[in-house]
Amino acid sequence: MKTLHIDYSKCIGCETCEFVCRFVHSTPRIMMTRTTDGLMMPLYCRHCEDPNCARVCKQGAITRDAHGAMVLEPLKCRGCVSRACMLACPFAAMLETDKGVMLTKCDLCAERRGRGMGPACVDMCPCGAISHADASELAALDTPEARAAEALVLAHIRPGSGPSGAKGS
Amino acid sequence: MPAMNFNFLCPGPAAPAGRSVGIIGAGPSGLAAAGHLSCLGYQVEVYDKLPKPGGLMLFGIPGHRIPRQRIADATRRMEREHGVVFHPQTKICCSAPMFEEEGDHFCREVLGLKDLVMRHDASIICTGSWKSRRMGIEGEGLAGVYSGLEFLFPIRAARYASAKVKTPEVKGKDVIVVGAGHSAVDAAHGAVGLGAASVTMLYRRTAREAPCGSYEIERLKEMGVVWRELATPLKVLGSESAESLEARIGGEVETLPAQAVIAAIGEIATPPFAKELGLEEVRKGEVHWLHMTAIENVFVAGDALTGPSKIGKAIYSGLKAARSLANWLDLKAQNRLAEYAYDDLVAKDERFRK
Repeated sequence: MKTLHIDYSKCIGCETCEFVCRFVHSTPRIMMTRTTDGLMMPLYCRHCEDPNCARVCKQGAITRDAHGAMVLEPLKCRGCVSRACMLACPFAAMLETDKGVMLTKCDLCAERRGRGMGPACVDMCPCGAISHADASELAALDTPEARAAEALVLAHIRPGSGPSGAKGS
Repeated sequence: MPAMNFNFLCPGPAAPAGRSVGIIGAGPSGLAAAGHLSCLGYQVEVYDKLPKPGGLMLFGIPGHRIPRQRIADATRRMEREHGVVFHPQTKICCSAPMFEEEGDHFCREVLGLKDLVMRHDASIICTGSWKSRRMGIEGEGLAGVYSGLEFLFPIRAARYASAKVKTPEVKGKDVIVVGAGHSAVDAAHGAVGLGAASVTMLYRRTAREAPCGSYEIERLKEMGVVWRELATPLKVLGSESAESLEARIGGEVETLPAQAVIAAIGEIATPPFAKELGLEEVRKGEVHWLHMTAIENVFVAGDALTGPSKIGKAIYSGLKAARSLANWLDLKAQNRLAEYAYDDLVAKDERFRK
């Protein structure tokens, strides 16, 4: 069961993750964001242990694949305008597009995994800030610097509330 | 730390395709293009003026941000597993006079563009943006006034033991950095590291608008850097070398002591043969084929095309140019170029128009 982990303290905001994702998937599933306070960060899917997005989806269109990635199945999704999954995601990682069901999310590069490769953003981050890590490796990545930087990011995604909702994997 | 993987588009070495491509510039866009094309089985040769591939990821951005080893291991993998040939310290001859930009110190060999074009089936120019923008104020020519690159490049390059590169002397000096982009932050950081007596940053707008982001500014303040916003430099004062800087800060004119002034206010693209290659038309999208220059088998990508950007954009541009080049060679090999109504398609591509 592997997930994506970004150490925000190592991120320099170079946007490589987003543009590599864009090249591979046409519509990026990791988004570089800048707050009005001038804080820059890539928003990404954590493939949570108990994901809100899957729980609120009435179609059951977001499911876990054999490698642990939460994937959106476009054939089940009907692109409902309530956008429950988008609203439910505590990490702002469900993204709207202008194609098909008009929603997309990270699937940890499912097609690439099928060919023995990993997520493209992990390969190409110049700073080594992104890891495709097993649950057992996450503790080592959770350094005090990483935690402090993550807290800054979360304060912007969820102003006024502490970490709540979905439990990260 | 694992290496970067410019060959991220293939799981392993590809079967030889019998095509040869030359890439000028081993920065983010050149390496991304080289990675993509070597994954298609092309024989890729990369030419760069610097002693190591990596461009400004290695020679501009400090190692605490981009680990040196992560880049070095990535280019070694390109060589060993994908047969990419690197020609370091090789400059492809420019239309502008030589030895005028940072990083020229290392060149041992100078090739003409024609040699290169003849040698390969196609080439991509990924030379980046190396010329520094100037402040355009009085006293800018004094000793002790640097551009961001003039200041940062030698700090990283000095370790390659070139007698021509000297680390800037700022120990015990009052240093003023103008600008608030990433290179301004790195210059301020570098000045602190080199033992400057004081480091002050001047920015014309506020921290909320700073291109480097407010997080970086907070971190610099923690290191003792003085942050002054809504500040415009007016004049560098001094007899032979810089002694102080006159600036308008929030409406008031102040004179700040400064034995070193670093104007990190951006770079300008310096592609070779900009006119001959019709790069202005490429920028506007008035071209026959995506990323193709006026010479039909010469492509262009990265900051050389768009002007200074971020690593991500440069990589994306390199990947797109590589894809475009491969598609073009395919169609050419089938003798089918004539049937492709490319003029319209390119002109309609909004993303390409920037």
